[in-house]
Amino acid sequence: MEFLLQGLSLLMAPKVLLIICISSIYGLFVGAMPGLTATMAAALLIPFTFFMDPVPALVSIVTMSAMAIFAGDIPAALVRIPGTPSSAAYTQDSFELTKQGKAEMVLGVDVICSAIGGLMGAVVLMTSAPLLAEVAMQFSSFEYFWLAALGLSATVMVSRGSQVKGALAMVLGLFLSTIGVDITLGLPRFTFGSVELLNGVDFIPAMIGVFGISEVLRNVLEGEMSYPITRVRAGKIFSGMGGLLRRYKVNILRSGLLGTFIGILPGAGADIAAWLAYAVSKRSSKEPEKYGAGSIEAIVDSGTANNSCLAGDWVPALVFGIPGDSITAIVIGVLFMKGLRPGPMIFERQPEIVYAVYLAFILANLLMIPFGYLAIKASSQMLRVPKNILMPAILMFCIVGSYAINNSIFDIGTMLLMGVVGYFMEANGYPVAPIVLGLVLGPILEQNFMISMIKSEWDLTLFFIRPISAILGGLTIIVWFFPVLAAFLEKAKKRNSL
Amino acid sequence: MKKSDLIGGGIFIALGVFIILLTLGFPTLEKGHPGPALFPRILAVLFIAFGGVIFFRGGKGEKKGLEAETREEVLVPKNYFNPIFVLILMVAYIILSNWLGFYITSTLILFLLMIKLRVSYRRGLAVSILLTIFVNLMFAKLLRVPLPIGFLGW
Repeated sequence: MEFLLQGLSLLMAPKVLLIICISSIYGLFVGAMPGLTATMAAALLIPFTFFMDPVPALVSIVTMSAMAIFAGDIPAALVRIPGTPSSAAYTQDSFELTKQGKAEMVLGVDVICSAIGGLMGAVVLMTSAPLLAEVAMQFSSFEYFWLAALGLSATVMVSRGSQVKGALAMVLGLFLSTIGVDITLGLPRFTFGSVELLNGVDFIPAMIGVFGISEVLRNVLEGEMSYPITRVRAGKIFSGMGGLLRRYKVNILRSGLLGTFIGILPGAGADIAAWLAYAVSKRSSKEPEKYGAGSIEAIVDSGTANNSCLAGDWVPALVFGIPGDSITAIVIGVLFMKGLRPGPMIFERQPEIVYAVYLAFILANLLMIPFGYLAIKASSQMLRVPKNILMPAILMFCIVGSYAINNSIFDIGTMLLMGVVGYFMEANGYPVAPIVLGLVLGPILEQNFMISMIKSEWDLTLFFIRPISAILGGLTIIVWFFPVLAAFLEKAKKRNSL
Repeated sequence: MKKSDLIGGGIFIALGVFIILLTLGFPTLEKGHPGPALFPRILAVLFIAFGGVIFFRGGKGEKKGLEAETREEVLVPKNYFNPIFVLILMVAYIILSNWLGFYITSTLILFLLMIKLRVSYRRGLAVSILLTIFVNLMFAKLLRVPLPIGFLGW
């Protein structure tokens, strides 16, 4: 209770409340702009968080991401383009209903279900994280090695498109993390005589490059998009909402829990939660034929799941230091930047910060209703902001943002290079989120492996003798062989059906 | 045959081989146990293995998988020079900012990019100046980041 009150007082400081409001507006704007993602918004936010205290820094990311994931629903409903990939699953349904003159109902469901989903996720985060942290207290380097390996493997498994390409992106991130002074002998690796590279590839410019610059490059390639925008009567978005929520209360509960669970799984983010909730919803619906042709049930389910996933993503990030998705990978970078080491000890040493994060999730999701209402009201103006002005502005924020951390031109070069790499990889079907997860988890993976090997005098069996380590190791190996197993089962199934 | 996979796979294989070559000179730990070279070499083997799969698939002409991002395609003509122009401007910023200072370099880069993206001259200039002032206020004044000053002291 004491920590809860401390967290509350940290959150209620006027400066923090102001940051919450600004982050909300920023998140709503970026989320509602087609082509800009919540991860890009988080990457651009880091240079600012660098100059903030830990609580406002973390709270700004919580608020921004919650608002951005909701706001992605607005262009999905109004112009049939998802604002962020998390709204892609139900874009078709949203737009079909808009064509039927039900845009207000769709946006009302979007904002309310996002808020309910977010609150459910926050409750699960508050209850499960401290319990898991107690278990994590018994972890040693063996368990942390497997956790990092499991997180990376899960990221590859759930990456959309080719899993081999996902794996290559992850290995690239891991390789980038090896640049700099090695932990065993202090040997400079792959620095080619550069003093700047001795500390390794700086996480922040790399992140801004992969998520910011690559977005700018892609957007300027596509040129200016123009689309007819449906006008919305914002005053009507909540009418009939009570009945709708009562009718779909089971869906909301199911998808809220499913989304949070997906979030807790390392590597799986809000977009996957939305797609899975959509599939589960269709399978259990009494009207599956409506899916794709304008199903409000699909929107209820997926819209709840993607926002509930956000809080779930923070569970492995806070408890184990293993990111749940690309946004929490950024969060882990921010925690390290602030001198805070994510892991079970943060619950012992800085519980007030953890409680402030819990409360920020609740506050952000409560604020989502009035802020969401205002965003819907301003939607037609927001969607008219020309990209040919927005993209140069984002470019300049990327340049100055990556320079600001170390006041170094070298960091702008890092950002430029990573932006080009990210752009080309994504253009050729390689997912870029695993690069960042590899970059964050690389040192954890290597350090814990080397520490384990040195203290066990190179006895590999110890990775499988400790009970929790054995379970985590077993799970990781199952994930590695899952694609092979799935292909084998598929073949067997086909053979049987012949 | 898919050219991009052949090239992509080839690059990753080459990177793997390059890493192995670079790690050949790395020292070992006591009793000859692998040290700083171990982790990079494992990654190099993974680069070669996965890169090989992509290369092999590209050669066989496997069907294109799902794109990484699910985004609605909008049929607009693509401007292939625009991304190159953005990169040129970033390199120009790296080279010029310490000499010209933030105000001039930023305004210039924003203005040139806006013109390239078909914003009118007058609007482009006005927005570029305003944006530069805004970025300077945010970073130099609010966050106290020492932005490049240049020979004019701007």
